[in-house]
Amino acid sequence: MDLECDVLVIGAGMAGLVAGTISSNEGVSTILLRKGQSATAYSSGAIDVMGYLPDASEPFSTPSEGLTAVAAMLPLHPYSIVGYSESVQPDTVVDEIVGSARAAISWLKNSLRDTIAPLIGSFDSNISALTVFGTTKPTCLVQETMNSESLQDEDSTLLFAGFAGYPDFNPSAAAKVFLEDRIAIGLPPRKVGRCVLKLAPFGKLYNLSSIEIARHLDHGNSIEELAKQLKPQADKLGATHVAIPPILGIRNALENKKLLEELTGVEVFELLGVPPSVPGLRLQMALEGLFRKGGGRLLAGHEAISYTKNGELLDAVMVRTPRRRMKIKSKATILATGKFIGGGLAGDENGIRETVFDLMTVTGTYHSAGDITPSRFTNRVSITPSSQPVYSCGLTVDPHFRPVQEDGVEWSSNLFAAGSILAGYDYSSEKSGLGVATTTGYIAIRKAMDFLKGVDLK
Amino acid sequence: MSDSEFDVVVIGGGSTGTAVARDCAMRGLRTLLLERDDIASATVGTCAGMISSGLKYRNEPDIMELCSEEVVHFNHIARHIMMKIPILAPLLDLSDAASDSGYIDAYSEHAEEREVPAMMFLTPEATLEIEPMVHPDVIASVYYEEFFIDPFRLSLLQALDAINHGAKVHTYCEVIGFEKTGGEIQGVVFYNRITGTTETVRTKLVVNATGPWAHKLARMNDSKLDLRLNKGTHVILDRRVVNVGITARALDGRWVYLFPHENTTLLGTTALDTWEDPDRLVASFDEIEYLLQSIEAVIPSIRESRIIRTMAGIRPLVPDWKVSEDKVTRGYQIVDHENGMISFTGGKLVMCRHMAQDVTDLVCKKLGVKAICKTHEKPLPGNEDDVDVESLSVEYGISLHTLERMRARRGTDIVKILELTKEHPEWKTTICTCEPVIEAEIRYAIREEFPQTLNDLRRRLRLGTGPCQGTSCTYKAAAILSEELDLEGDDFLVDILDFKAERWKGIRPSMRGEQLAQEELAQGIYTCVGNLDQSDVDYDLKPWEEGA
Repeated sequence: MDLECDVLVIGAGMAGLVAGTISSNEGVSTILLRKGQSATAYSSGAIDVMGYLPDASEPFSTPSEGLTAVAAMLPLHPYSIVGYSESVQPDTVVDEIVGSARAAISWLKNSLRDTIAPLIGSFDSNISALTVFGTTKPTCLVQETMNSESLQDEDSTLLFAGFAGYPDFNPSAAAKVFLEDRIAIGLPPRKVGRCVLKLAPFGKLYNLSSIEIARHLDHGNSIEELAKQLKPQADKLGATHVAIPPILGIRNALENKKLLEELTGVEVFELLGVPPSVPGLRLQMALEGLFRKGGGRLLAGHEAISYTKNGELLDAVMVRTPRRRMKIKSKATILATGKFIGGGLAGDENGIRETVFDLMTVTGTYHSAGDITPSRFTNRVSITPSSQPVYSCGLTVDPHFRPVQEDGVEWSSNLFAAGSILAGYDYSSEKSGLGVATTTGYIAIRKAMDFLKGVDLK
Repeated sequence: MSDSEFDVVVIGGGSTGTAVARDCAMRGLRTLLLERDDIASATVGTCAGMISSGLKYRNEPDIMELCSEEVVHFNHIARHIMMKIPILAPLLDLSDAASDSGYIDAYSEHAEEREVPAMMFLTPEATLEIEPMVHPDVIASVYYEEFFIDPFRLSLLQALDAINHGAKVHTYCEVIGFEKTGGEIQGVVFYNRITGTTETVRTKLVVNATGPWAHKLARMNDSKLDLRLNKGTHVILDRRVVNVGITARALDGRWVYLFPHENTTLLGTTALDTWEDPDRLVASFDEIEYLLQSIEAVIPSIRESRIIRTMAGIRPLVPDWKVSEDKVTRGYQIVDHENGMISFTGGKLVMCRHMAQDVTDLVCKKLGVKAICKTHEKPLPGNEDDVDVESLSVEYGISLHTLERMRARRGTDIVKILELTKEHPEWKTTICTCEPVIEAEIRYAIREEFPQTLNDLRRRLRLGTGPCQGTSCTYKAAAILSEELDLEGDDFLVDILDFKAERWKGIRPSMRGEQLAQEELAQGIYTCVGNLDQSDVDYDLKPWEEGA
């Protein structure tokens, strides 16, 4: 069976979901391919836009401040590509970049308002979000279940609550790290406690995963049970706030949070956590819902493996599932297959390659990455603001986000790329992952739709 | 016993130093072991763990004889941490077959005592049936069997047994000088890296078992010691990609091997004379490629395997020069500096107990103590009996796989760990999913086996040694360590950074394939979510991280 569509999106992480949701909701027939679980589902579920410049030690206080710096200092950054369009006047480049990102982030926040992953925060400030490590990180938007804003009140007292047999969060270590940090910077809360609660989802007392706990909390009277244990602990400490790992539910997280707050009389919020990530899953599921609502067709378990070209144009993509192969013809295609986790890039001792179209790959400084030994683009220090440059490798694109070849000309006039497959940035050290994905997905699909409308993309 | 007066201070907590401490303590000597890092943290921690029959050293019949005897002893004292592995040496053309067949007789002479069959030739069909990954053009293969031991557990159990016999063992204590009278050592001065203090103990004798640092320690004692330092590197592959061990001629005619090892496969080794600081040693691209190309000739699909990481160590050989590394004797020398210090050079893992026996004989003679060696008779802790993991699995509701791995580290002591889960069922939680390791074993190791860092836990438990290289267990294990040792928040974060640094040292040189995605995930957790790249904790750069 072969399929046809106007827009084919390869990859259903953040960039692909944003792109596909926009086109499907504008009535463009869209097919979205998802090979497996996306890297977005592994993410903390917070929308980082721009936290730090490479090698910097002070976070940006607002995303727009960060983007202004990127525009001035990192010409090869995906955010900067936005400013290279011929339609952009030289004196409005920064405004264009900041404005595009702001529009994309606003779109995302508005779109997710009535889903299982509503967001809070704004483009005009970075949030200092608490993590399961007890550390904080700058991010732009967090899910409403993670809202810890009122923790800055002078009389706040915070209780970290973990679960026995759930090793992905340790309240004792987090409480110590957080308190030491608060003392060092002299900000509230000035009192921090910890406790361990007992849940036995499905009768099990050990090897609990975040997904299991979240599913458990979505059912029956489990929040009431949780509140019964939590309230005395919160009262004992005199807590105004309770930080819990990100497990508040998959379908009903926000309702669960409100009910838990009502029953305990304290504010409850989720920390940013590690995979397997419930908020990441919520984000993915919410966007998939929006995509489908717009009439888009999601093919899960489908992997793009090759293509046919018709002259200048990408004609069709060959797709594989465990059971069958098929051809999908599309008028425009968005490549959003991610980096190494997503499978958009692969590397061995001979170099780094793009996996579907064998497009030219470059390093973060736009040198060819097709023949580099990956270890050459790494730092001796593992965890460093200088990042591991191999993760800045990827595709180079024209101002319309079309991957280009060695001669600087686009590979095809109807193939666009978005998300972490793009070269020129490292999302881990910048704290910019889902922001770049959202912004580039948002812009790439606009360019693709312009192409469909016959707009001349020079 | 006084805490500051000893008969003998053993310096170095590798396989030899711990064996010496055990022997001395068992013979009733007041013994102190000083190790500047952790038990088995240098040379022995980078070896393949082979308790070799000495096959490679057939030109040294005494050595082969000694190796065979030691295999028999280890089978008696440490059977619970040993594994017997069949090995094939596939021949692809006749020139591969050695011109003399003396090695067959040499290997087989004591085969019965070692409880292995005599060496034999196999047909191509039989070879490929045992190991289908072998090149289909194989014309024959040589089949033999060797024993392997967990070198970390061996060293640790020797140290624990020394403690059981009254010895003191101090890790993270680096010797910085000697107190001498009339040229004779009277005391040892060391810096305690945990407490940050300098301490002095009095002793009659010092045994220098510091391996690749032995010449430096001798120099500190105004003595001269020659060593030939030789770098050996392994590439570590995910899971057991071969059913049996494979040995083959390398590109330069040396022998290299592919050994199934715990949950991984080891490809090794290189042999390069080195003058590098052992603390800065990392694998080079050349070494990795040399090993892959060498084994590729007999296992053509080797590059399809997932490379987890590399490890590099230094052999402290006896100072034979003007010959290739292969030709240097694998025997050992005991050097009496006749000023209170006795040093080792050379030796192999399989000989560590024997080396200890020899040196302890000398120590006893010098001290006028009459006591005989019993280290080959008394079992190491945990080797008291067989363990029925199947019924334990049913009794405690823990997977058979988890328990079999635990048994291979613990022997009969496994029950002490499982007992803990009666009061704390939540400690049945798997912390390291690759190995796997459960929380109860981590808590037990912290309480009973004096680890200070996650790296120390890795050596005791194989924590973080699988394909994910600590991506998922570092946070969890650091939190447990922090709870048990009541660490401050900053120290919890430093532990995470330290462990990541040590894992990265080995991952980085061979970075490719799935490890690119694995490290992206690790960066996502510790850099992106944890924001640890921006942490202001006191993190000291590691020796291999320094410089441009």
